[in-house]
Amino acid sequence: MNIFERYNRQIILPEIGEAGQQKLSKSKVLVIGAGGLGAAVLPYLAAAGVGEIGIADDDVIEISNLHRQVIYKNSAVGKYKVEEAKLMISALNPSIQINVISEKLSGKNAISLFEKYDIIVDATDNIEIKYLINDACIITSKPMVYGSIFRFQGQVSVFNYQNGPTYRCLFPDENTQSLSCEDAGVIGISVGIIGMLQANEVIKMILEKGEVLSGKILVYNILNNEQQKFDFDKNSGFLVSLNAFNTKYNIAENQVEEVSVEEILNEINNEEVLFLDVRNHDELPKINFKNGIQIPLMNLENETQKLNQDQTIYIFCQSGIRSKMAVELLLKKNFKNVKSIYGGALAVKKLLQEKIII
Amino acid sequence: MIEIKYFGAVAEKTKCAFEKISSSEISLQELLQNLEEKYQLEALSFSVAINQKIVKKASDYILQTTDVVALLPPFAGG
Repeated sequence: MNIFERYNRQIILPEIGEAGQQKLSKSKVLVIGAGGLGAAVLPYLAAAGVGEIGIADDDVIEISNLHRQVIYKNSAVGKYKVEEAKLMISALNPSIQINVISEKLSGKNAISLFEKYDIIVDATDNIEIKYLINDACIITSKPMVYGSIFRFQGQVSVFNYQNGPTYRCLFPDENTQSLSCEDAGVIGISVGIIGMLQANEVIKMILEKGEVLSGKILVYNILNNEQQKFDFDKNSGFLVSLNAFNTKYNIAENQVEEVSVEEILNEINNEEVLFLDVRNHDELPKINFKNGIQIPLMNLENETQKLNQDQTIYIFCQSGIRSKMAVELLLKKNFKNVKSIYGGALAVKKLLQEKIII
Repeated sequence: MIEIKYFGAVAEKTKCAFEKISSSEISLQELLQNLEEKYQLEALSFSVAINQKIVKKASDYILQTTDVVALLPPFAGG
């Protein structure tokens, strides 16, 4: 494929050129949140040829998302946002690499994840996680492209750009509440505009063109089209160290225990244990254990009465991510002995075929 | 006249996007105390700007009649 042809209309811009296109294709951007803001940011970064895009989100698509999360199809309701977003943007531009992260962002995974990218886009919808993203960006020295919405107003800024002011310099009060879209209401256009402005900041930073919104917050009101910028300074009282970060966020949580397929091979016909498939009913390959049950992860919380809290339960999904989430969920509900099968259904199927058991 | 602008959840409380007040010899801190009482803003968290520049709220800066004060809360939707 001729990249000059695909990106011709932007390459002919003097501010971009072939050199700028090369910068875009070498850049790695992580988008946290595949909701309304993410749905605007992702296709524009992909179409412009950002070489590697990570999408982090652990939600499934709901019908009430579709009026603003316009990259999803009606037929995708109930499916994971990361998977559907990947399908959409890889269809738009197959020449870029897309990584999906379907785990919830936490103090445990944020630093190692951020280290793999150049720019972090905050497309999330709650304040608590914005402080986590901010602090992890400080530790890993990555710029954070912030966007958020309150009804018909939006805010955009870039924090920690070249060691510049951070989210904490602007909003030092961490114990704050603000309504999410679910509670406050939102229209698709406002998240679209703010997400597009975030994508614009990303592209400018990669190209090193224009003025980045560092030390400035843009406030946009779509009802009267007023845009205002406010300046703010770096407050060195908020320097975050790795130790302080770990103390703050790495509170010991229930450790998810994983087992390999080989380890559970002998249990396959053991009626004392249960194999729980948390995939959706249409996922392949089908795996039918005699002592097995299928409850999709999204239904699990409401259907735990189908399970015995004292039984040994081995949980699997397609690749081993949702099964870990299922283990966490069941541990919280006082299940005693639940483990996630490493590698998921694909690993199970492979081993079963090798051993010619089914 | 000092102009005060309200954003986001603060504007929902004040029920207006801006207002002008004629006060002389009032510090920023005093103005904010008055507004918090008048509109019951204590549950809200916001930053404050004077003439488009974020400043410390506990400031004894005496506001000038041409100053524009803005109350800016963080947003969370996405």
